[in-house]
Amino acid sequence: MNARANKHLLLWSSLATLVALGWAAYRENALQEWRVVQRDYKRHLPAANAAEFKVQLRQIVVPNLHAADRCVSCHVGMAPGETGVAGNALFAHHPNVFHDPGEFGCTVCHGGQGRATERAAAHGDVPNWPQPMIPRHYAAAGCGGCHTHLEVPRLAALEHGKNLVERNDCLACHKLDGRGGTTRPGGAGGMEGPDLSRVGAAGFDRDWYPHHLARRDTSRVRAWRTSFAEIAPEDRDAIEALLVSRVGAAGLVEAKAVFHSRGCRGCHKVGGVGGDDGPDLTRIGEMDPGQRNFTHVEGAHTVANWLAEHFRKPAVVVAGSAMPEFGLTEKDIDALVFYMLSLRRSNLPEAYWPKDRVRAERFGAREFSADGATLFGTFCAACHGSNGEGMRYPGMVAFPAIGNPDFLGIASDAFLKATITHGRRPRRMPAWGESEGGLRPAEIDFVVAYVRSLGGGASPLDDGKPARWVAGDARIGAALYAASCSACHGKNGEGGEGTALANPTLLRNATDTYLVETIRRGRRGSSMLGFGTGSVTRRALAQSEIEAIVAHIRSWEAHP
Amino acid sequence: MSVAPAPPTPEATPALRRFADNLRHSPQRFRDAVVRSGAPRSDRSRSTFVFSSLFLHLHSVRVHRWSLRWSATMGLGVITAAAFFLTLVTGILLMFYYKPYPDVAYLSMKDIHFVVPTGRFIRNIHRWAANIMVVGVFLHMARVFFTGGYRPPREFNWIIGMGLLAVTLGLSFTGYLLPWDQLAYWAITIGANIAQSPRELTDALHLTQYFDPGGLTKLLLLGSETVGEEALIRFYLLHVMILPLVLTGLLGVHMWRVRKDGGIVRPADADQRLQPLEPSTYPVFTETPQKTYHLAAVVRGRTPAVGNGPENTVPAMPHLFYAEAGAFMLTILICVVLALLKDAPLKELANPAVPENPAKAPWYFLGLQELVSFSAFMGGIGIPTIVLLGLGLIPFLERETAGTGEWFGGPGGVRTVLRSTAFGLGTVLAVEAFVIRFGWIRQWWPHVPQLVITAINPGTVLTLLYALFSVALVKKYDSTRAGAVALFTCFLCGYVVLTIIGVHFRGPNWEFFWSPSQWPVH
Amino acid sequence: MTANAPASSKRSRLDPEAMPRRDFLGIAAIWSATATLLFATLGIARLPRAAVLPSPSKKFRVTLPDALAPGVAFVPPGRSVAILRDAAGIFAISTICTHLGCIVKQAEDGFHCPCHGSRFGPDGQVVRGPAPKPLSWLAVTHTGGNTFVIDEGKVVAPGTKVAV
Repeated sequence: MNARANKHLLLWSSLATLVALGWAAYRENALQEWRVVQRDYKRHLPAANAAEFKVQLRQIVVPNLHAADRCVSCHVGMAPGETGVAGNALFAHHPNVFHDPGEFGCTVCHGGQGRATERAAAHGDVPNWPQPMIPRHYAAAGCGGCHTHLEVPRLAALEHGKNLVERNDCLACHKLDGRGGTTRPGGAGGMEGPDLSRVGAAGFDRDWYPHHLARRDTSRVRAWRTSFAEIAPEDRDAIEALLVSRVGAAGLVEAKAVFHSRGCRGCHKVGGVGGDDGPDLTRIGEMDPGQRNFTHVEGAHTVANWLAEHFRKPAVVVAGSAMPEFGLTEKDIDALVFYMLSLRRSNLPEAYWPKDRVRAERFGAREFSADGATLFGTFCAACHGSNGEGMRYPGMVAFPAIGNPDFLGIASDAFLKATITHGRRPRRMPAWGESEGGLRPAEIDFVVAYVRSLGGGASPLDDGKPARWVAGDARIGAALYAASCSACHGKNGEGGEGTALANPTLLRNATDTYLVETIRRGRRGSSMLGFGTGSVTRRALAQSEIEAIVAHIRSWEAHP
Repeated sequence: MSVAPAPPTPEATPALRRFADNLRHSPQRFRDAVVRSGAPRSDRSRSTFVFSSLFLHLHSVRVHRWSLRWSATMGLGVITAAAFFLTLVTGILLMFYYKPYPDVAYLSMKDIHFVVPTGRFIRNIHRWAANIMVVGVFLHMARVFFTGGYRPPREFNWIIGMGLLAVTLGLSFTGYLLPWDQLAYWAITIGANIAQSPRELTDALHLTQYFDPGGLTKLLLLGSETVGEEALIRFYLLHVMILPLVLTGLLGVHMWRVRKDGGIVRPADADQRLQPLEPSTYPVFTETPQKTYHLAAVVRGRTPAVGNGPENTVPAMPHLFYAEAGAFMLTILICVVLALLKDAPLKELANPAVPENPAKAPWYFLGLQELVSFSAFMGGIGIPTIVLLGLGLIPFLERETAGTGEWFGGPGGVRTVLRSTAFGLGTVLAVEAFVIRFGWIRQWWPHVPQLVITAINPGTVLTLLYALFSVALVKKYDSTRAGAVALFTCFLCGYVVLTIIGVHFRGPNWEFFWSPSQWPVH
Repeated sequence: MTANAPASSKRSRLDPEAMPRRDFLGIAAIWSATATLLFATLGIARLPRAAVLPSPSKKFRVTLPDALAPGVAFVPPGRSVAILRDAAGIFAISTICTHLGCIVKQAEDGFHCPCHGSRFGPDGQVVRGPAPKPLSWLAVTHTGGNTFVIDEGKVVAPGTKVAV
């Protein structure tokens, strides 16, 4: 019997439990992070406000967005009705933005875990929380959760537009992306011209130019009369393209412009538009760092760092990735990471959808501008090069230099269009006119026109012959082919260093003139020699011999 | 002549005085009304105190000194009951905030974790108490088995105890789904498909279209084909209502039977083996007893008093209650400290499109999950059924009396247990090592019919080996007790080893890893 | 029964248990257990009192229709606020009856409560019925154009109007 032992057991377990419960109570009522932070906030407040301030949990509830964001329990200055402590990183008031945090909550833009009340958990840097906060550096990426920025041109076009805005001194009266609006022709008391930073979302008067001219001619204010000069029509177009993209998310639109200059959609789909070779990126920004392999990633285990490292060396970070190393600049990498982080989709009720998203998802509005240069930058540049110079990546067959004047000098528009439309499978060139996320016919025409312009305006040879006119001897051609062509183009035209000639779409679309002239003239700047002229090591081929080779190549059309 | 005034009759005093007196005496009378026996200071008032209380009268009024030795029970039953009480209290508290609807449930868990006052602490206690309850049930069962506590007259209570084991596991399992996180979702998906696994057998016999107990069980459990809102509300109902009621009922019967079966099992010669009472201890039955307990209560079989006399019993109040209260507070202490040290897990929101890898059931089912990885039916239903049947039959097949009340009593004593442990561990480790190294039938002959694997898999092989070993010991000692000890010990070893393998050594795709740190990142 | 007891020094089991050195240990054990359970109960009692309320922000933005006639209440959807315009400016009156929380409706002579017949004047003052207090006036801030921010959580003195 353990009478005393049992009493001791009861006594000491009770006392120990009491201590443990006491500690739990103390921890909960005094040590919680938000309590400590709010007490600090109270100390920062002026005495009058401090007396009113109560240390308590705070949250912003937005039922329609399923948000109960407790971020304001620590970022107290951002809570509705709080004054905040100016200049304090933690306690400052939220910067003035279009979407009032009191109305929209925090996480809808910034990500993270709104229900949490502890720093690490709230910022989402904990296991088992799939959506960490968007880093502050990329804060505007949060816009992508709801918005789809439309008609974003390639980067060069944006830069051009900005240069024009500078050159024409628009910033004298207008504000744009936080700059300008310093001269006040209307006298003291404010900026004359409206702020243009959100003009793409709010819409602007398409007759702005005549209005400005009329204003200049009638105004009595000296500044008006002297400062507005005439602007050339193409410059006005460039300025308007810039203005359309000004939706209050300048950095993000510039980042998207980089995406639209690097040909990323050639392989990747975003919002259902793009190629199929790479993964769909529509929601890539929501990726869970906990599900990513960081084995070969140097630095922090964050989504941003993973993406950046992946852009530097794709195949190292993702084993077996078919994505080439583009040798991107750090600036471009930063922009692309920014854009990737913005690729997210919050499950908003449709009533909350912004106009741009409705237009993109319901009416098929394009996220890129429809000019040929931007289309080329968006879909083609990764393989064919920004200027059609053709890219060469380690471990991959060289991509054709379609800007080559020799090529453009013999390839007709119809050939270009057919190639873009039908692609060249099984090679990597997709059928842009046939695939689900491809180009529309008008867009293909724009691309053809742009490609044409890359060759310095060389217009294709037109000898008036029909598509098929060669009547050479295929047997002679076979011997000649084996001697002169098979080393690069493969014994049976399967390709190698040179193009695969036994490609059904190529043979269907290419005219005999195209083939003959390509052999005769060659293609300067590539390994394809002009066989019409000889060299020290080999003789020139006669026209009949070239035609015989073409006849041999044509024989694959029947039996590929 | 003056007549002394008669003591005022109640009627004689003015009503208002009486009212004032009544008012003054109300607290005292209220106390008397609650505790009729007065302060439990004498033997009699203590007895009255016990049997006039609904809660205390589950105990007998006097309790044998043998039963109060720590080594007799180690307090395991009380600890388990205390853990149940804790889950009950904390569970009711959690219900203030928990909302049983998909996704919303997860958010309410987050609320409990982050903003509900004491919410996280209460949830941690709930989780830890549930785990302690499961461990406690197993250990308590082992204690009862190894001290021969299942023997007559306690056969029925042994079976009630098995019911309690099943309900406890059911409670834990149903509670697992409620957080609606990835862990919950996929553990329950697996569990529900185990319930469906009789189809493995009916499919192989082409019976499913006529007779589909597996499909029916799963449908009853989930109310749908997959884990969804219907399943959540069913699991919620089971977890907060049906199973707790069943458990409370069974627990009441269980405790009452302990008393009616003559208290905790003890050896026949317990009286002789106890130290004499210390002189300072309150004397017990120094006078000739006026009545014996078998007269006071009609109890079949051995009663505490028969043949032994009551000399070695002490009043339950306070001796037993100190012990019980001590174990109770100890349980609370353990739960509270664990709750302070480690938070209950909460993973990502349930995502029916992305399975957890590995998707693991609650730890106490991982032994089964290891078996399930060969044959869902055998591992999830067949072998558990065999084990439960076997356990239930023990008191009826093993009816010896030698060694009752002794730890590891019976022929061979501890040596039988050690030998069985060695065999149990060796066999399960060998089978698992073989399977991990060489695979099983499906890896060798991919086209082998499922029925063959259902019949021959590591689980059934182990069961067979254990049964053979048990038969061998029955023969060797010419004792059914030896066989029972062998079987029980072997199955316990198998369960523990398989559970450890399932918890620690199985990783993504249920492959073997020496440590979770070697898991490939998925 | 004591009569039957052998005449010895042994005590009777009917006597109160002697506590030679008062059982401090036992008493301390019982009291500490009681104190612990009491403390736990107090802690538990805190749980049902929610630390944050699931109600949405009381501050909201509203854009008034251009043609809002003076004296006609504009009630933003989902809110219990009547926004009115008169010559002096814009003001907001809570439509929650001060009696038992029903929502009052605008009538020709002010506001009527459908539940227990309280009637309020056009400025929210009690005219009839059980309501103990006038309807609350709420803080209004003008943010430009026809847009205003109403704070349902901030009661202002009756008659406070925002000039436009």
